[in-house]
Amino acid sequence: MKNLSQNKILIPVVTLLSILLGIYIAVTKINSSTQNSELSIKNGNWTVNPNMDLKDNYQRAYIARIGVFALDEKEALYFLASKDSDGQILSSDFDYQIIGKPPKGRYWSYTLYGKDYFLVKNDHNIHAINKENFDINKPIIISSKRTEVNWLPSGNEKEFHITLRIYNPEKDVYENLESIKLPEIKRIEL
Amino acid sequence: MRKLILYLLLSFILSYGSYSVTILMIPNIIYKVFHYKIVNNQNVKDNELKHFDIPNDQSRDVVMPNPDFLYSTSFYDLSNGDLNLKGKMPDSTYWSVSFYKPNTVNWFVKNDNEFIDNNLDMKITLSNSDQENSIVSPLKKGFMIIRILVEKKDSKSIDYYKALQKSITLN
Repeated sequence: MKNLSQNKILIPVVTLLSILLGIYIAVTKINSSTQNSELSIKNGNWTVNPNMDLKDNYQRAYIARIGVFALDEKEALYFLASKDSDGQILSSDFDYQIIGKPPKGRYWSYTLYGKDYFLVKNDHNIHAINKENFDINKPIIISSKRTEVNWLPSGNEKEFHITLRIYNPEKDVYENLESIKLPEIKRIEL
Repeated sequence: MRKLILYLLLSFILSYGSYSVTILMIPNIIYKVFHYKIVNNQNVKDNELKHFDIPNDQSRDVVMPNPDFLYSTSFYDLSNGDLNLKGKMPDSTYWSVSFYKPNTVNWFVKNDNEFIDNNLDMKITLSNSDQENSIVSPLKKGFMIIRILVEKKDSKSIDYYKALQKSITLN
């Protein structure tokens, strides 16, 4: 009789806790994947997720979490960097220079996002450097301090991400994502 | 001992099951949350186009918005028949129309280079059609995004693109 009563309590408790544990692990795993995903293609300090047919449930969840409503790889590629070329986390405590050209495509842009993947807050309403507003004779600088041109303000973000978007990338680009030459993000002293 | 093993086994099966279901449902949940935000915060109904301004650091509807784009979006529902998407689009900048399933998978995209001219004229339908401008949606419901690239951010350019954006209709 006592055993039956124990079971009556224990089974619902085990059931509930197990379900919650599964949900917790799933959410934690997807959230932690946004920092270091084994699903992404890695190229230096950049990662890219081109497989937008997304038959894998886990990959689909991951993409929905970090870049919902993204486009397929022939339309746009989204390279994401959370660390500089030396493997250090990108932070507004430091200044950076982007060295090298973006891969070939119709249009490119660099955008800064905070840890929460929303645009970095800054008083100048500057959030991207792109093919059109870029001064070819000057380097692209990421800093909380204003620079003359090609400035991407890092605001007060202790951790941020850089996204390099390539719209209509050349075939050679999206077919060689692991080996194409990508720009470096070097920490500098301004 | 036997009972403990039984409980552990039950716990493992249930945890694994809820883990798998959660992973499967995350995109749909993100989609539903976004739908809820748009319907309630922006007061936009299904099959109604919402023309957004260029995203800034206050934009919180979708992660990683592109600050170079003007977005127009709609949650479409073909339950009551086909929809026509029409508008005058820019002729010298990137623009595209893309469609997504409620699990956020992008099933169709067409950009300005793939259109004959800058007249946007598409029919969204559920049944196969010979009409060249028709696209067949795999599901009754989904989401569409029209992206217009604003290369230069001077007020004249922005106003010009915004006027074009507002010419887009969905009926």
